[in-house]
Amino acid sequence: MPTFQTVPCVNINDEFVDVVSIDVKQGEFVNSGDVVATVETDKSMIDVVAEQDGYVLRVDCEPGQKIRVGAVMFWLGETRDEAIPEETKDTSSSASAVRQPTAKARAMLKELDIDPTRVPVSGERLSVADIETWLSKGGKPGKAAATTQTANRREDTPAVAGDLQDLSPEAAGMLHTVAWHRDYAASAYLEVEYDPKPWEERAAAYAAEHKLMLSPLLPLMAFRLAELGRERPLINSTIVNGQRFQYTPVNIGFTVQAGSMLYLTVVRDTQDMNAAQFISALGEVQRHAMAHKLPPQEATGATLSFSSMARWNVSRHTPILPPQTALIIAHAAPKNSDKAVLGATYDHRVLTGFDVAQVLLALSRPA
Amino acid sequence: MNLNSDEIKAAIRNKVIELAKALDMDASGVTDDDILPATGLLDSGAILELVVWFEASYDFRIKQEDMNIDNLGSINAMTNFLLSSKQA
Repeated sequence: MPTFQTVPCVNINDEFVDVVSIDVKQGEFVNSGDVVATVETDKSMIDVVAEQDGYVLRVDCEPGQKIRVGAVMFWLGETRDEAIPEETKDTSSSASAVRQPTAKARAMLKELDIDPTRVPVSGERLSVADIETWLSKGGKPGKAAATTQTANRREDTPAVAGDLQDLSPEAAGMLHTVAWHRDYAASAYLEVEYDPKPWEERAAAYAAEHKLMLSPLLPLMAFRLAELGRERPLINSTIVNGQRFQYTPVNIGFTVQAGSMLYLTVVRDTQDMNAAQFISALGEVQRHAMAHKLPPQEATGATLSFSSMARWNVSRHTPILPPQTALIIAHAAPKNSDKAVLGATYDHRVLTGFDVAQVLLALSRPA
Repeated sequence: MNLNSDEIKAAIRNKVIELAKALDMDASGVTDDDILPATGLLDSGAILELVVWFEASYDFRIKQEDMNIDNLGSINAMTNFLLSSKQA
C-alpha cells in the first residue's frame, strides 16, 4: 500500500520550510535512512531521510519551493506502479490534505485554535490522539489562542522615538517558550547548594576509565535526572486541559550553546539506556547542535530538562520551563568555590516544593 | 584538499589557540603532544567545537565511539587519526 512522507518540523516555531534539494526521482528505489531531500529554515538546514524502503511513486515538491510542515513531500510504494489513493491526488505541496477530524478532535481544534493542516494524521481521521501527539512534540496552538492574552493587555508603543521590527525565528521561539511558561505553567523555583566533589570524582574516574575527550560530569548528572524521571513519574508529566498527562518515555532536554544560538537538544527514550549509551547519544546530539544540523527528533519532545551555566561561571540562573514540561534543572558551579548549586524551575500545578527538593537532593550526589 | 601533516597540525594548533582565546586563555604554548582535555585550555564545549570544526574542515566523519583520547587527545593524535581515516 502506498505511503506518504510529510515535511518534517525543523523548528517548532517554523510553520514553513524551504526545499533546498530533492535527491530522488520518480521510479527510483530508496532504502530507509537514505537522504531524499534537504530542507531549511532561517535557523537550520536538515536532511530528510526515507522512513522506509520503497519506490518513489511521486514527488510533491521541488527545490526552491516553500512548503508547510506536515505537507506531503513524496509517496513510496512496494512496486513502481502502485496507484496513489485517489482522494489524495490533489494534495498540494503547500498544504497537506486535511482528513476529517472526529467530533472530539474538532472540539479540541476549536478550543486550542489549532490549524488542522498542521497536525499529522495517523489513521483515517484526525483524532484527539493525533493532536495530543503533535502538542507533545512541540506543536503550538494557533495565533488566535496564542495572542488571546496578549491582546487583552496590549502594550502601548513607547513614547520615545523608535520603530517596530519583526522578530527573528530564534527570538520568536524564545517568545513562544516564555509565553507558555507565563500563560500556562504555575512556575516556581528553588535551589540547594551541594558539595561538587563527589560528582567531580565520579566524572573524573569515568572519563579516565573510558578515555573520554569530553568531561562526562554534566551528562552523568543528566543521566541521573533521567533515572529519577523513571523512579518519580510525576516529574516527567505535565498538565493538559486540567488533567495530568503522564509521558511514557523519558526524553531528556539538554541545553547546548552553539555560537550565539541556544538549543534545547533532546535525547529520546532514555528509559531504555544505560549511562554509557546516554553519554554517547548526548554527545552525538551535541555535535549536531554545534554544527547547526539538529534533526527534528533531536530538537523537540523534551519531557524533562537539564541546563547548566557552569561554563560561564554564573552563580545561579532560573531557566524558563520548556513547553509542556514540569521540571528543568539549573546547574551552576562558580569557579573558586567549594559549593555548587542545583536549582529547578518547576510547574507548581504538577509538583510541590517538597517533590522538587527531594529530586534536587537525590541529584546532588552520584547514585 | 591539502593533507600535509605539518599543515594539518598548524591548522589544529591555530584553532586551539582561537578557541582558548574565546575562553580568555592563552594556548600559544600548546605542543603537539599535549593532551588537550588535560591542559585546561579548552572546556568540553570548546573541545566539541574543535571536533565539529575538524570534521567540517577535512570533510570526514568521526564516529561517536572514536571520540576518545587515543584518537583525538592531542594535535599529533588528531593528525594521525585524520590521515589514517583518509587512507582507510
